[in-house]
Amino acid sequence: MSSPTTSPALFATTGEPVDRVGRRNRLALWLMIIADAAGTVALLISYTYLWSLNVNGGWAPPGARLTAVETNNDIPKKVEATFAAEWPFWLVLLIVVLSTVAMWWAYRAGRSGYQTALVTGSVLSALLMVAALVVQWVQISTFPFGPSDGAYASAVIVLCASNLAHMLLVLFLLIGMVNRSRKGLVSQRVSYQAQATAYYMTWVSVAVLLGALVTTFFVTSPNTDPAVFGSFKQSSSSTVSPSPSTSPSPSGSASPSASPSKKKASPSATKKASPSAS
Amino acid sequence: MTTTTTAPPNATVFGAEVPQPPQHGKPGGIMRHLNFGTGLLAGIVGAVAAGWITAALTPTSASNATFAPTEPEYVYLAVLIGWVVGFMLGMGAFVGPVRWLLGRDITHADAEYMAGKDLGFRRYFKFTTDHKVVGIQYLVVTLVIFALGGTLAMLIRTELGVTWAELFAPTFYNTIIGTHGIAMVIAMIVVISGPVGNFIVPMMIGARDMAFPRLNALSLWLLVAAVVCLISSMFVGGIQDGWSVYYPLAAQAPPGMLGYQMTIIVFAISTGVASVNLMTTILTMRAKGMTWSRTPILVFGVFAASLMGLYAFPFYQYSQILALTDRIWDTVFFNPVQGGSVWLYENLFWLLGHPEVYVILIPSMALALEIMPVFLRRPLFSFNFAVAGIIGVVALSGLVWAHHMYMTGWAPAVNYPFMLSTEMISIPVGFLVLVAIGTFWRSTVWTRLPLMAIYAVVFNKMIGGVTGIYLSDVPADQYFHGSMFVVAHFHYMLMGAGLFGAMGGIAFYFPKMTGRILDERWGSIGLWTAFVGFQITFGSMFVAGLQGQPRRVLQFDDMFNISNWLSTIGAYVIGLGMLIFLAAIIFSWRSGDVASSNPWGSKSLEWQTATPVPLENFEVLPVVTERPYNYGVPDPYEQRMKSLDGDLGPDTRLESDDKAGVP
Repeated sequence: MSSPTTSPALFATTGEPVDRVGRRNRLALWLMIIADAAGTVALLISYTYLWSLNVNGGWAPPGARLTAVETNNDIPKKVEATFAAEWPFWLVLLIVVLSTVAMWWAYRAGRSGYQTALVTGSVLSALLMVAALVVQWVQISTFPFGPSDGAYASAVIVLCASNLAHMLLVLFLLIGMVNRSRKGLVSQRVSYQAQATAYYMTWVSVAVLLGALVTTFFVTSPNTDPAVFGSFKQSSSSTVSPSPSTSPSPSGSASPSASPSKKKASPSATKKASPSAS
Repeated sequence: MTTTTTAPPNATVFGAEVPQPPQHGKPGGIMRHLNFGTGLLAGIVGAVAAGWITAALTPTSASNATFAPTEPEYVYLAVLIGWVVGFMLGMGAFVGPVRWLLGRDITHADAEYMAGKDLGFRRYFKFTTDHKVVGIQYLVVTLVIFALGGTLAMLIRTELGVTWAELFAPTFYNTIIGTHGIAMVIAMIVVISGPVGNFIVPMMIGARDMAFPRLNALSLWLLVAAVVCLISSMFVGGIQDGWSVYYPLAAQAPPGMLGYQMTIIVFAISTGVASVNLMTTILTMRAKGMTWSRTPILVFGVFAASLMGLYAFPFYQYSQILALTDRIWDTVFFNPVQGGSVWLYENLFWLLGHPEVYVILIPSMALALEIMPVFLRRPLFSFNFAVAGIIGVVALSGLVWAHHMYMTGWAPAVNYPFMLSTEMISIPVGFLVLVAIGTFWRSTVWTRLPLMAIYAVVFNKMIGGVTGIYLSDVPADQYFHGSMFVVAHFHYMLMGAGLFGAMGGIAFYFPKMTGRILDERWGSIGLWTAFVGFQITFGSMFVAGLQGQPRRVLQFDDMFNISNWLSTIGAYVIGLGMLIFLAAIIFSWRSGDVASSNPWGSKSLEWQTATPVPLENFEVLPVVTERPYNYGVPDPYEQRMKSLDGDLGPDTRLESDDKAGVP
């Protein structure tokens, strides 16, 4: 519709030079990536934290297979599951990286004035991202476990879901890139949006890489002797193992001090301290 | 579709001929038809439709891992998602991304329409992009949240003060505690960075608008959507586990917990968007000549709060996302039976939870330091010290979170490093207090309402800060933890310093925001009434905490009665003071004295433009040639540093005072 020569050198709404707007957008993108990275770090911390603790043996101890619990007519039934295969994580990463490379190529070609290459690269990048989405979806839907099958299963599935969300966002950007470069709105003179997309895709590649690394190298928990409920091992040999009768009950009846004084004398009021959250 | 495209005429933007993208229809496009009413309608339709579809698709016998029925949970979550998506759709939040996707860029005329040009009062009920409109919208929304949180606070104090009867069921009492907590935290986070950050900061740095006007509107309306989620939670069991909603309590909570989780997820997006926008604006749009040493201290404060929110909020957000998947999707992140950990939740939560204190406090302190030079007619005592204090707080804020977890049993070995880092952070915070005191020292005071609020801020901040040192100390915290002492402490910090600072900010910027002077007489009465009530309420609470009264507990021993009676009386006095202050705002806004463009004689840029502020803020972009607080007086600290003998001498001060005439 528009040729590159008719693209505005000044930003249409504010009249500022497009380059200045581009620099501003780039900075904002980096800040967005910081926030996004913080969220990804939160997920990675969650994964590695639970991996390192292996609470209640619920991660999956070394040498053991995951044990999942399914319900069938409300009767618990043991089923066996296993860890996820590692190669799909790397396959997803490979496709995402290829898509990112394609976008960088498109951006650089567009900046050099090759509008057709910009459009082609954007299309190629978008197609690769669709492929990555499909592979990611297939991986999630074929995991040999469900989200409730222990901490490993939960952490892996949510990491993959995070990948999926990132890829959907990138796909939105790439569809925009295809459309806008086709219309000449992204061009040699106005290329900052292609650059921003490529930057964001680079970050997404890093996020997928981090996910692949933890799901490959942090699989079996190093904690081979985790605390197991009902038989906590304590460091002091003089400590007596707790018996069910000494466990504090939810009503607080195990400890005299846990029973709060009543402030009212109403016979109908069966008053207990409301739970404190911290 | 292309038949509706018109040839793009050039637009004249600030004197420059700017080529325009193809225009589609009238300026504003579909935005002309979208407003708060369509947002509400679409939100309700979205909520009902999503809830109905989910109810139809979910088997009524479905249950989760703990055999609890899941249908109500799924339906409520679908209602919340439907509400948020529908509301934002109806407001027009998705118009920009869709137009971008389709390659239909907005024109200058579109941008002016979206900024509310010639829309009159209607612009306050639309997805308006003008930062001044967004600032006013933030102010009103914040006041509404405060009204909600304040009303709940009155209910809490009523229950605790009426020691001879039980007014509320324990579950409802817990609900009002939790809802009050999170509502007030949200309100305090946005009360300065929202109204002042949006309305004032762009003008203060000499910009025409925020860097991303549409993101500005997006952050505001996401906040509105989030608050509705919060309110809705009260009708489906409420938030019964405090604002921190620790596990496993949260796992056992009614569906209202989903309202909390959705509120936080949406609010974190709003905050992230606002932080990026504010930071980009400050970093890239400062006026020519506005070096960092010439940038007002409030800008540093807002920037610091945005930075802390940017890196810390995602942890809070993800804690709630994981909690949501635990609840809805049966993941086990926080379920120890299957390998999860409640400590994981606590860590993720407090990784934001404590920086959040400084997200609230730093803008408030920076605002206090911004106001003081204007009314003391002298430079800030050591601008550099104040900046160093803000940088120090930002640097340490991410290293103190575990002091909230001393008593949870998580990693006792790290208690002492965290004790050290927590006590260290009092040093940069102390810098800010010292700069305030140094600026007051031997100054000629022009006591007006904004400065009165600063007196309150400094007083409350010192009490809150000193009591915080006790709580940061592991042995002392063993006694104080979970007691009313903690409640009193954080109210001194968040409300005493944060809210009173915000009151000062509202009084200070009221003339610029509304074109009228806030009624000083009634404003002062409201302020001091609230201040006195505040001291009674939370001073008594310190006593109750020292005596051992636990927090978040409906019932207590008779020995705490007197403290609680006093606290309740004080709370009602606060409420009275706030109502008086609110009335002063409303009546002054409607019929107060008309303000000149610079009624305080301030030297910073936002006061150098006309009132009411034109759409483009400045006819010609300003050039900054001096520091923001050069009220004809050399900075005494700098002068001292330059003087080898280090003696300011009485003559210097007298000369300073002579020049510091009060207008």
